Amino acid sequence: MTYPALEVHQLSKRFGGLLAMDAVTFSIPVGSLTALIGPNGAGKTTLFNAVTNLFPPSSGAVRFMGQDMAGLTGARIAELGLVRTFQTARVFPGMTALENVMAGAHRHVRASTALQMLWSPGARREERVMADKAEALLDLIGLRAFRDIAATELPMGAQKNLEVVRALMARPRMLLLDEPAAGLNDSETAELAALLMAIRDSGITIMVVEHNMSLVMGIADQVIVLDAGRVVASGTPAEIQRDPRVIEAYVGQEV
Amino acid sequence: MPDLNGIIQIVIGGLLQGGVFAAVALGFSLVYRVTGVINLAQGAFCVLGAMAMYYFQTIFHWPLPLAVLGAIVSATLFSLLIGASTFVPAVSKLPVSSVLVLTAGLLTFFEGVALVVWGNQPYALPPFSGEAPVSIGSVRVPTQGLWLAAGTLVMIVALWWLLNRTKIGNALRACAENPLAARLMGIDVPRMMLLSFGLAAAIGTLSGILVAPITSLQFDSGRFFTTSGFIAVAIGGLGSFAGSIVGGFLLGVSEQFAAFYVSSLFANTLALLLLLVMLIWRPQGIFSSGPQRRSDVRDDMRIHRPLIRLTTSKAIGFGLAFVVLLAVLPLVQLPSGVLSSLAIAMILFIAVLGLDVLMGYAGQVSLGQAGFMAVGGYAAAILATTYDWSPLAGVLAGIVISVVCALALSLVTGRLRGHYLALATLTFGLLVDSLTVGLVDLTGGPSGLVGIPSFAIGSFEFDTPARMYWLALALSVVLVVILQGGMRSDFGRTLKAVRTDQLAAAALGINVGRVKVVALCISAALASISGSLYAFQFHFLSPEMVATPRSFEMIAMLVLGGEGTLVGGLFGSLVLTLLPTLVQSLALYKTAAEGALLVITFLFLPEGLFGRLAMWIAQIGAPPTPVPPASTPKLADKAS
Ligand SMILES: Nc1ncnc2c1ncn2[C@@H]1O[C@H](COP(=O)(O)OP(=O)(O)OP(=O)(O)O)[C@@H](O)[C@H]1O
Ligand SMILES: [Mg+2]
Repeated sequence: MTYPALEVHQLSKRFGGLLAMDAVTFSIPVGSLTALIGPNGAGKTTLFNAVTNLFPPSSGAVRFMGQDMAGLTGARIAELGLVRTFQTARVFPGMTALENVMAGAHRHVRASTALQMLWSPGARREERVMADKAEALLDLIGLRAFRDIAATELPMGAQKNLEVVRALMARPRMLLLDEPAAGLNDSETAELAALLMAIRDSGITIMVVEHNMSLVMGIADQVIVLDAGRVVASGTPAEIQRDPRVIEAYVGQEV
Repeated sequence: MPDLNGIIQIVIGGLLQGGVFAAVALGFSLVYRVTGVINLAQGAFCVLGAMAMYYFQTIFHWPLPLAVLGAIVSATLFSLLIGASTFVPAVSKLPVSSVLVLTAGLLTFFEGVALVVWGNQPYALPPFSGEAPVSIGSVRVPTQGLWLAAGTLVMIVALWWLLNRTKIGNALRACAENPLAARLMGIDVPRMMLLSFGLAAAIGTLSGILVAPITSLQFDSGRFFTTSGFIAVAIGGLGSFAGSIVGGFLLGVSEQFAAFYVSSLFANTLALLLLLVMLIWRPQGIFSSGPQRRSDVRDDMRIHRPLIRLTTSKAIGFGLAFVVLLAVLPLVQLPSGVLSSLAIAMILFIAVLGLDVLMGYAGQVSLGQAGFMAVGGYAAAILATTYDWSPLAGVLAGIVISVVCALALSLVTGRLRGHYLALATLTFGLLVDSLTVGLVDLTGGPSGLVGIPSFAIGSFEFDTPARMYWLALALSVVLVVILQGGMRSDFGRTLKAVRTDQLAAAALGINVGRVKVVALCISAALASISGSLYAFQFHFLSPEMVATPRSFEMIAMLVLGGEGTLVGGLFGSLVLTLLPTLVQSLALYKTAAEGALLVITFLFLPEGLFGRLAMWIAQIGAPPTPVPPASTPKLADKAS
């Protein structure tokens, strides 16, 4: 039996009197790239927070690869292979760029803490393999030369890219990316689009929050439009572009 | 069983006591609301006020009203001066946990100043209006109690009026609710921080002046007020003014009842247990306060020290040279006492090393490490003296008990964050303090435990300072190497991730709770070893050798030496242990210097002594470090 990668059913989230997310339902096939769009305050980040149980949903169900996520901690969910990034870059201060990426590999580390402390050859070997892999990923985003400087000293765009490859280092089955292109200029955004497609082609399911319509339309297999906490439309990019409700949601916001 | 009168008498005593706690708690809440930091120096303001009062009243013979005014103004001005030059710049520069530790340094500094001025005997000021108590019905109240009650009431009303009915109050509350918005509205936020600090100082000063005739005070009474006020505010609700007041009175009354029904030795213990129960049952306090902030939006996770990475060859080379240097030290002719001090510094370093794992790497502030030292020290000492265990077995038993305590504490702290964690560890330390004093049969009580044998492994006795020094040195080297193995691997990365960004850490599958527990257990085990060796070194152990001031001292050592460096703590512990030995005349100034050094290091040398040294070593012959790119680098063409 094959499951969709992510299945969200009637998911709602209430903050006091505010219904930030209202009975959101959708499903994402394995290996697809889904874009989540919607005006500011639509509830996109809230959706990510609810799916990863950072702020558990008020009601509704989330299934990841067929497994019910209710009650699981954020760390447990990441261990299952659902890894997210944050809207504001959250590289770890006090760590180099390389260490930041390697931190992503935590869930794959086999050597116990005790073995690491005893400098066991196995642990050291594992560490070297991880470092090589992290360097390759840094290479991908053009940061190899800066592997040893503090990650927080990098420009904002580079930090956001770093966060994406840190998530990749965790070898996720599915990535949730919250506005990875925020703060990037046009050419940088185009590069990121290529990177996202490459990640998708390597078999990792992606759901990405993005404001830039032309980017979304170019790369997404599926688009979900959120407005005021509700799914107002979903479908292929072409369908979405023609949908009057989507135009309304965005135009309505501009006034 | 006391009659109704007796009970009323107890309640009144409790309310009087509680009034001071409430005032201190109010000070905490005020500063916390505006700056987001608990100012641990709050209790010291009481002593500063009383001390100034002593001079104006008893030495200069000013008339009472003038003396009170003079004392408030001078003590508040002094506090403001210190606050403006340390606390306020720190709030805008350092991570919150560091500011908390910095205020611990301020507390120590104020204490040290009081020690220099007042010496270490207690002072009781004359009551405002005579010794004779007034009788209300059949209940007798000291007149000073009435002054205290009236003063507390006036303070509460004045503060309420200031906050709710004046423009300044509006600005203060705006800062508390949203500093960023306040800044955009044109409010001078640093000024408001200073103002809150000054107001809190004035409150503390006045309550110190009022209470000094009832409870005699001495240089380190500030610690008592800080912890009691801290407990009060935790019971009532951090940042809530009503909660502070209620918490203060609740604590005062329950302590009086405990003192009456159980024993004054355990009054403190019961208050602490009350707090622990409170922390488990309702960590936000009776009155929770403030709007919940969105935690997925990054709150500021600053890290203010530079990144230092030594290459392996340099670390090994310089490390070996340094160890050899330390190892041959006892062979040179050292002035008497210096070798013992060296041994003590080395022993303390082991505990500081543990603290570094917890605080320097995992970012969890512990104000109670001495509690684990006490557990290790007393466990080993009691087992070795009363039960004839071998010292080594005693040390191991101490470790086991300490780790069990740490695990139990984790049950409390696991759900707590930030200030509450520091609070829980402080509570633990104080709890152990009061038990070591109170359990006279087991610990020998305040006069201590004598006749502790030398440490021995098999038949080899470590009975000279040199041998203890070498033992501690060897152990330290082994521990540093082991910990470094962890720090340069995944374990170290998870600690650092937890320190700065727990949400992002969890999103990568890092079990934040587990990481904290492991770090706490490591620090507890090392503190315990250190405590045991400490007892064996002195052949004697008394509660004040491993009491809460020791926790603060170890923090000062760590910060001075350099957090997050493992080795740094040794530099701090050497400086702070050896200086008073080498320059005996400095001994009086030790406390003040400890506090001042902690504060100054935080502000001006965030990498610490060793950190600075390591930065120099890292630069020797190293290729120039790449400058961070000015713009986002191009991505590789083809993603693999
Ligand atoms: N923890 C919270 N407490 C209170 N309100 C919240 C919280 N999290 C989100 N909200 C509210 O829920 C609504 C949706 O917010 P959310 O951040 O999910 O929007 P978004 O679609 O991600 O917007 P943006 O494009 O600006 O990132 C907003 O009105 C927001 O203020
Ligand atoms: Mg968002």
